[in-house]
Amino acid sequence: MSTSKPQPKFNTREEVDFVIIGSGAAGGVLARELSTNGFSVVVLEQGQYRTAADFKHDELKVIFNDELLNHPGWNDPQTFRRFETETAVQLQNSPPPAFYARGVGGSSVHFTANYWRFHQSDFMERSLLGPMEGTGFADWPISYEELEPYYSRVEWECGVSGQPGPFEAPRSKPYPLPPMPVKSSGVLFEKGARAIGLHPQPAPLAILSKPFNGRPACVNCGFCMGFGCEVNAKSSTLASMIPLAEATGRCEIRPLSTVFRIQTNEAGRVTEVVYLDSTGKEQAQKTKALILSANGAETPRLLFLSESSRSPDGLANSSGIVGKYLMGNGHSVTQASFEHQLNEYKGVQVTRIVHDFYENDPARGFYGGGGMDARPFLDSTPILHAMTGLPPGKPTWGPEFKQMLRHYFTRKMSILGSTTSVPLASNNITLDPSLKDDKGRPAIRMTYMDHADDLAMATFLQDRAVEILGAAGAAEIWREPVEGGIVQAHLLGTCRMGNDPATSVVDKYHRAHDVPNLFICDGSSFVSSGRGQPTMTIQALAFRAAEHISRFARIGEI
Amino acid sequence: MAQHKDSRRNFLKSGGSVIGASWLAINMPLIVSAGQAAAEKKESAAAFDNLTIEESVELSALVNQIIPPDETPGASEIGVVYFIDVALGGFMSDSAPMLRQGLEEFQQQTKSAHPGTERFSELSFDQQTEMLKSIEDTPLFGMLHFMTLCGMFCLPSYGGNLEDAGWNLIGFDHRHAWQPPFGYYDAAVHSQVSAEGDEHEHV
Repeated sequence: MSTSKPQPKFNTREEVDFVIIGSGAAGGVLARELSTNGFSVVVLEQGQYRTAADFKHDELKVIFNDELLNHPGWNDPQTFRRFETETAVQLQNSPPPAFYARGVGGSSVHFTANYWRFHQSDFMERSLLGPMEGTGFADWPISYEELEPYYSRVEWECGVSGQPGPFEAPRSKPYPLPPMPVKSSGVLFEKGARAIGLHPQPAPLAILSKPFNGRPACVNCGFCMGFGCEVNAKSSTLASMIPLAEATGRCEIRPLSTVFRIQTNEAGRVTEVVYLDSTGKEQAQKTKALILSANGAETPRLLFLSESSRSPDGLANSSGIVGKYLMGNGHSVTQASFEHQLNEYKGVQVTRIVHDFYENDPARGFYGGGGMDARPFLDSTPILHAMTGLPPGKPTWGPEFKQMLRHYFTRKMSILGSTTSVPLASNNITLDPSLKDDKGRPAIRMTYMDHADDLAMATFLQDRAVEILGAAGAAEIWREPVEGGIVQAHLLGTCRMGNDPATSVVDKYHRAHDVPNLFICDGSSFVSSGRGQPTMTIQALAFRAAEHISRFARIGEI
Repeated sequence: MAQHKDSRRNFLKSGGSVIGASWLAINMPLIVSAGQAAAEKKESAAAFDNLTIEESVELSALVNQIIPPDETPGASEIGVVYFIDVALGGFMSDSAPMLRQGLEEFQQQTKSAHPGTERFSELSFDQQTEMLKSIEDTPLFGMLHFMTLCGMFCLPSYGGNLEDAGWNLIGFDHRHAWQPPFGYYDAAVHSQVSAEGDEHEHV
């Protein structure tokens, strides 16, 4: 697909209008918007350019060999610790702590595609609830109302299936597509939730329930979570935005391009981006302006790597908060089995959600809110099911194990609770002081431990999940322990947006306070975490940022 | 089973998205060529590429302890030993020395526990079970367990899951497209929807 399109080849030594680092949820939208608006754009993507034809139902390769996560042929390790007093180590027997896909389309290629809009409160909880001592709890510099038109653009231009629920904020347009067909997990969840007085609703998903914008409808193959979509029905930027960007003839995607430095001049402006190309050769692309959309872990890493005598603590980091306030969304998992077959391996992961506990409630005794969904979770593919899906305390090998495998695979479901994350300076991304990747770049070091309120909220949702599953008639219910997080797939808050340069990294238009021609737009821009499904908001921010950045470029304010 | 439990926990921790795992820290860079090698070998019906016949006999007994034959085939008949042969020659070649050394030590333990016996595979099924229980917490067992489940449920092109026998065991029907109803509990909803001839309101 990439080679058959008329891509321009920009000269690295001539300025383009924009370089975008990262082609994921945000970068893909920005590439499409800026190239459509007439600007020349080079997208530097560290991963491969795969297309739908490259994606397979190969659980061994995708889930166990991390095919969509890794650089081909080289190693980019990460380290983890819970507290800053500890020495970070490489995790054994674990996915990488900062969990994201590498490739054109970024993590939007392998995500599960839950697309919840934020609520009005998500942008102004500090004002609504007051301060939280010792935290970075703050309002956003923009409101839901300012972002609403861009949520609609995500729904209509990327492609989202859904139906408004009873708790969501006002919307200007309906969903373009009806919800995906309900699965047995959705039916049982709905039944149990209603029985205890809750208000379940169809799940909004960035997956096409009908043909849309020249793309086909989902075929319910079941290989969504962690996999790339083989028919382009999942609305990744690879399927939705990148082809439109390339069709302008003004956007060049450069895969396998690993950035290791953003070069600035004496005036403090970005002049070029230095990277290793697909052959390992060093290149430097000159640009009028830079957009950093590399994700909440890679974005601060690149800013730290771009330190200079002008900015010794990292580019755009006069505030000292680049990398800080990492938020990941807390989770709880509750598993259940039923008498009859659900066959959850068919179809999308999630078809019903509950947002009754979205808002903060002082009566709970702790800060937070969350959402719940019904899904097969790790029981959607056979190997993962055999390793993680059977009830605890039972044999894991032998005749009884074999009998359990026969019984459970088709009879399982889970409820996933997703929660707020309190922003803490002590949760952060920094450079590891000793470990480096194969290219000599310092490794990402993640420091993360959920706030006690996040864990309390996750446990609260798990208690409700047990009630729901009981009311739905589950044969067996078991809880996975709620513990402080290690692996974070939602990488949020590390270059937060704000009006005050002393307490934020970018302004309300995503322009770095310190660097006039540097814009940062991805999960790192978040000020609060939402309730567990951030990608919809990342993309709404990207549509909005693209509009303002285009305006600045037209009037020479870049 | 400490290792298994920790791995399971870390898996579950990855929460809303998923899980990509260096399960048991096994690196599998050559997995594509391994799949091709397995496909070619099946066609030529050749002997094992990496395992000796003796090793294959021992592994056959071991993996049949993890998924034993009953009214349906056990792991060995489902092709798990072929899968291991392919894996050791490719994407798990780094683990081969550890596996071989572990197996050798295990055979020594078996001999000590059962004087007069040369090999694990000579023991009765129940004796084998007892022996294996004594090493449940070792890396060797963790690796055998992992490889058995991969060999049972991987794409058949990797040499295991012969004729989808692993998938048939658990009820996984591998197709590329499905239409609702998917399961027992959504069948009534979908028959109602099709009777009404319309889907949910979505405005």
